[in-house]
Amino acid sequence: MKNRIKAFFAKEGTKSVLSSLLCIAAGIFVGWLVLLALALFSDKIPVSHAFKGLGIILAGPFASGGSKNIAFVLGDMLFEAAPLMLTGLSVAIAFKTGLFNIGAPGQYLMGAMSSVIVALAIPTTPATAFWVWLLALLVGMISGMLWGMIPGFFKAFLGVNEVIVCIMTNWIAANVVSWVFYNNKQFINAAGGKSAYTLPTTANGVSTPKLGLDKLFPGSNIDIGIFIAIAIAILIFILLNKTTLGYELKACGHNKNAAKYAGMNEKRNIVLSMALAGGLAALGASLYFLNGGAELAWNTYGKLPDTGFNGIPVALLASNNPLGVIFGSGFLRYIDKGGYNLAGFTAYNEYVSDLIIAVIIYFAGFSKLIKDLLSRRKAAKAEKADVAIKADDATQAGKEEDGK
Amino acid sequence: MSEQTRKDAVTVASDYPYVIEMCHITKEFPGIIANDDITLQLRRGEIHALLGENGAGKSTLMSVLFGLYQPEKGEIKKDGKVVSIKDPNDANALGIGMVHQHFKLVDVFTVLDNIILGVEPNTMGFLKKKQAREKVLKLSETYGLGVDPDALVENITVGMQQRTEILKMLYRDNEILIFDEPTAVLTPQEIDELMGVMRGLAAEGKSILFITHKLNEIMAVADRCTVLRKGKYIGTVNVAQTTKEELSNMMVGRDVKFVVDKEPAQPGETVLQINNLSVKGGAGKKDAVHNVSLNVREGEIVCIAGIDGNGQTEFVHALTGLVKTSGGSIRLLGEDITKKSIRYRNTHGMSHIPEDRHKHGLVLDYTLEQNMVLQRYFESQFQKGGFIRFEEVRTYTDDLIERFDVRSGQGAVTTSRSMSGGNQQKAIVAREMDREHKLLVAVQPTRGLDVGAIEYIHKQIVGSRDRGTAVLLVSLELDEVMSLSDRILVMYEGEIVGELDPKATTVQELGLYMAGAKRREGKEAE
Repeated sequence: MKNRIKAFFAKEGTKSVLSSLLCIAAGIFVGWLVLLALALFSDKIPVSHAFKGLGIILAGPFASGGSKNIAFVLGDMLFEAAPLMLTGLSVAIAFKTGLFNIGAPGQYLMGAMSSVIVALAIPTTPATAFWVWLLALLVGMISGMLWGMIPGFFKAFLGVNEVIVCIMTNWIAANVVSWVFYNNKQFINAAGGKSAYTLPTTANGVSTPKLGLDKLFPGSNIDIGIFIAIAIAILIFILLNKTTLGYELKACGHNKNAAKYAGMNEKRNIVLSMALAGGLAALGASLYFLNGGAELAWNTYGKLPDTGFNGIPVALLASNNPLGVIFGSGFLRYIDKGGYNLAGFTAYNEYVSDLIIAVIIYFAGFSKLIKDLLSRRKAAKAEKADVAIKADDATQAGKEEDGK
Repeated sequence: MSEQTRKDAVTVASDYPYVIEMCHITKEFPGIIANDDITLQLRRGEIHALLGENGAGKSTLMSVLFGLYQPEKGEIKKDGKVVSIKDPNDANALGIGMVHQHFKLVDVFTVLDNIILGVEPNTMGFLKKKQAREKVLKLSETYGLGVDPDALVENITVGMQQRTEILKMLYRDNEILIFDEPTAVLTPQEIDELMGVMRGLAAEGKSILFITHKLNEIMAVADRCTVLRKGKYIGTVNVAQTTKEELSNMMVGRDVKFVVDKEPAQPGETVLQINNLSVKGGAGKKDAVHNVSLNVREGEIVCIAGIDGNGQTEFVHALTGLVKTSGGSIRLLGEDITKKSIRYRNTHGMSHIPEDRHKHGLVLDYTLEQNMVLQRYFESQFQKGGFIRFEEVRTYTDDLIERFDVRSGQGAVTTSRSMSGGNQQKAIVAREMDREHKLLVAVQPTRGLDVGAIEYIHKQIVGSRDRGTAVLLVSLELDEVMSLSDRILVMYEGEIVGELDPKATTVQELGLYMAGAKRREGKEAE
């Protein structure tokens, strides 16, 4: 029995889950310390609110007060989890191939723009609305793929670090979106004198099917997007673990020299991986904005969407496992709602709740570190010696390369 | 250690013969006993070799001595007194120092700076190098090391870098010096010099533990030798009263042949034909490979000999498609493959045992079975409609493990990183041998391996030749070149400077070609 427990804790998967849970716990604890400190130093916030606040954060959407509100918040939580899941998958699949896709916000914006335009520009009848929706979804995804391929090309053929190109394409995307809508006012919602948002796609009768989910969670924006996202996570899991393409992508990620030696086209794989990543991030945006309830703040040139960046902690929290991403994104949205309620039901304002959420997300990024620590504790100093030897090998290899 | 106990230790030291004793050390890891009741006694002023195959437990034992592992059983004694070593700092305090196989030097620092690194003499944070310099020069003179303290490490030879490491230990007044496979990176001449240095150190009263699996070196320099096999203590012998054969028998557990058994080659059709192949060097440098022409026929082993860094790596990379050629042609089985992809070469008769098994040969984070199909995962045997057929991969891997005796902790699903170097190499050999091939390019196939594994791999290569494969072997080991090849080509500064018949030449003559002192007729006229 004891051995079985030992074996269970020695498993990679166990370590990943455990480290993610530890990160979450640590993040919540530190977040709570902040709450406590603020309460102690502010005469506007009673200390009891620090404890109450912790409870509210942990309860997430369930602390929304009243079953009606809970259903509504829960529905929105699931709705908002879908795009985050997809940006999380986007970052995770790139990581698996050894690439850091920090370009998800840009890919997300390109997807949002393309989908919104297609959904609004093509006149629909009730009979064709679904097909326009599907087309908008696909066009959004494809535009993200193309956008993601740009850093992929630069990395594969010119050796430019993908992080730099990703950051640049993020801001280019932000400006392109602003520019396109600025010159196409027909897509802008001018009702009530406001013009910061695009028209909801429902203005053209286009929206993601709800399949009765809106009855289950009345008042919320929920649609089938969450199921699409989960299905895609499972597909990506299968792609990475069961197919020859996944085998190649991971080989390139682990050791691109060996992949080249084995005759794999590592340049193609880099571009392909970034295209997949871009497509996923964009699909997240398409699902979000084709809902009909969400409107795109088109004046984006000064700001990048959080959902794009939050894909990074989701992927880290999930140790880049596509199935883990489902739970990682769910958790982030859950705690998000907790933060929202914190501002609603305690003396803390929304800035504090944003801060607490940021602290928890920040800690989520440490899961890799914690996992390494766990592994190190297990194999104790064996690892250390091993790591030292490997470092030696690495420097040796480096030296050899320099020599050439 | 208080002043009093230090004095005690010194008085005991004078009449107690062993400076370090590791008694009945047992260290277990989950599923494996890495050290099983091992005793190692190091006498003052002796050179004591620690011999064992890869995975025999040498590294674990040394890690115990350095406090990286705590043994389950056993104790360590210094000068007859039980000591507790909890981490490397304790080991250093006891005067134990190690020259690592891969040096730990800062390239852009001078030798002196490297030596004092971590123990810089200073007043109020200001360096006082003068004293240190004198001490280093004195040590260098005493032991005949001949190191220039002001030279930059990046500008000195590998041999000198190793001496810098030795000086680091001496500067820290270490009494017990551990050399971990110190000759792996040295040229034959440097090895001889190192042996001299080691003898000098021992004569001055330093005690040396010499970890190696090269029997010639043990015979040449060691006083006694302790042999480990599969984690067990086999015995300690006086080197003067033993033979290479006895040592290798103790190490491997059976008799090992040092001479490769092979029939005379019976070459057939030409398989590989290379004409005037050139590869560009770095910017502003001359060609890394220049106008190399050669051919390899089926059923023969052609060996490219040469000192490391004379274009062999670039040549092989060009041949296998890893780098572009800048001129000339490569024909495989009559077909021009100069511009073909790596995959094309892989699937049209070329197998390649790469020089660097970690960089090219394996994806270390993949399991053994994933690595076994590295070039074949797309073949219909292993995939259907883009999905990998895992049962097929497993069956295939199990078969290779069985036939090529690849050993690993959990069989097919072992992470390659956790396998021993010898077995990683065996896995690559198994993979490359089993692929359909007409040409085998083997680059330093036995680098860093023990005699058992070397014998095995040599046997495989000869077997492959006898089945009609054309073998192109690139090796830096003269013994290997002389015993394995049917023809020898010597590469010097990117050119083939000589062709020799291993039966009609001597190591000395080969050495002259390798050093560039001799060239074949006709080339000189250029």
